[in-house]
Amino acid sequence: MRALRIGMRRGWAEHMHLLRNRRELIGTLIGAVGFFALMLLWMGDRPVKGTDVSNATFMTAGFLAFTVFSNGLMTLPLSLVTDREEGALLRLRAVPGGIPAYLTGRAVTVLCQIALQSALLVATAVLVGGVAPPRDWLTLAWVLVLGTVAVVPLGAAIGCLLPSSKSGAGMVALPMMLLLVPSGVMFPVTAMPEAIQWVAQAFPLYWQGLGLRAAFLPDSMLVAEIAGSWRLPYVAAVLGAWTVAGMLLAPGLIRRMTRRESGSRLAERQLATQAA
Amino acid sequence: MSTAVSVRGLRMRYGAADVLRGVDLEIRRGEIFTLLGPNGAGKTTTIEILEGFRRRSAGEVSVLGTDPEKGGDDWRARLGIVLQNWRDHTRWGVRELVVHLSRFYDAPRDPGELLASVGLTEQAGQQVGRLSGGQRRRLDVALGIIGRPELLFLDEPTTGFDPQARHEFHLLLTRLAADDGMTVVLTTHDLAEAEKLAHRTAILVGGRIAVCGTPGELAREVQAQSSVRWIEDGRERVLSTPDPSRSAWELHRRFDGPVPGLEIRRPSLEESYLELIGRAA
Repeated sequence: MRALRIGMRRGWAEHMHLLRNRRELIGTLIGAVGFFALMLLWMGDRPVKGTDVSNATFMTAGFLAFTVFSNGLMTLPLSLVTDREEGALLRLRAVPGGIPAYLTGRAVTVLCQIALQSALLVATAVLVGGVAPPRDWLTLAWVLVLGTVAVVPLGAAIGCLLPSSKSGAGMVALPMMLLLVPSGVMFPVTAMPEAIQWVAQAFPLYWQGLGLRAAFLPDSMLVAEIAGSWRLPYVAAVLGAWTVAGMLLAPGLIRRMTRRESGSRLAERQLATQAA
Repeated sequence: MSTAVSVRGLRMRYGAADVLRGVDLEIRRGEIFTLLGPNGAGKTTTIEILEGFRRRSAGEVSVLGTDPEKGGDDWRARLGIVLQNWRDHTRWGVRELVVHLSRFYDAPRDPGELLASVGLTEQAGQQVGRLSGGQRRRLDVALGIIGRPELLFLDEPTTGFDPQARHEFHLLLTRLAADDGMTVVLTTHDLAEAEKLAHRTAILVGGRIAVCGTPGELAREVQAQSSVRWIEDGRERVLSTPDPSRSAWELHRRFDGPVPGLEIRRPSLEESYLELIGRAA
């Protein structure tokens, strides 16, 4: 219990540090929201092809899904690697209950970032894009929560496998960008060849996006969805399956990573970084 | 005096390489103990096994009565660890980090008093990333002792310290060992520091403890040469000998009384160390 309590305070403190850091603030928060605002201004007014729904409404659901996805599967793993390289993980390993507190803290920081970015994206959509508030708040809430829960353990597992922050950024960012295109978060997935639609459905980003579109878009948009349905039970099932997979995978990998941390490994990594 | 650390037949093998080949070691409670040795001798491996950061290949290890491989949070709370490669928590405030890490312990030191004891009161509000190298090390030491550990591991603690900061750090460490009864295990390349601080020193060579004891015991064990100086026929004479007491007694007999300008200088820890390493090479 103590580790959990300290971890929550730690997560909040880390979140506040991000907000106080101008570079981080511009790079993550303002950058993402600013890009979204620009997209809204550029093409938000146009309707999605063959429907009467604006691009702005469609993009809002997509950007929200991508925010959750990128925070969980890119920001979180890279934070883990950076903490490992700087020695934060080892320092926490050296204190009683440090690792559970650290992991709780990292999860809380990611949740705070997702919550803040999501709130800002919705506010920007309403104020800049003239998007109507979500038609189904309940669906918005559970899809956001389940989508977050699905990617956080998975992100932690990926972070354990990345060799370094330098190479890790490329290793994570490239597949993320590749997944962005076919996942239907930027434009309707039915515009893609069928094989790509199947690939998209294997990953949580598509299902997260589908659930969020169900919360924002009218049923008239179902013509642009696979099977002409929001398939919310499937959204819950697939995101739930990814959650279980992450939960099964992450603890073992985290234990392995923390067990391998020592002063000499830290020194070796820092020497390698200096030499590179 | 009871035992803080007990090591029997410790072996460590990485692939085909034997890094530790049967280390035997006993560290008493309340003493400052230094582990010396050339690079690759196995110091870091030994310390990491004691800290519970590394699994051993064979042997028995007990740290504060517990096998480090099985040590849980209660055991971990009794240890303090200060490494030399930490560059973490750079965005945190100095005091904020000290307060945060103090929460992991039942009876931590007061953060304000702790920062004062390592001379960081003025930097309490600064970001950790803005501290100088020496200040950063002092913060690391503060964080290492925040939980009032019974046993403190220090890896090259004064690297980057200026002479004044080094002197103050030595006073702090001596005080902690004397007042709080804390056991300190120190690894350093600074032999003068080891000689100044340590009650006992072990020298690890080729994966084994070559010698262990006080600086005097080490010198005797290694049979490093002492120097005996005296004045005879108006000139200074110097004799190098492993047994200076015997030489002084023989001089006393030869002069049939006080020996003019007699001076005996026993070998320093550095000389004993170099003698031992030179022999092993």
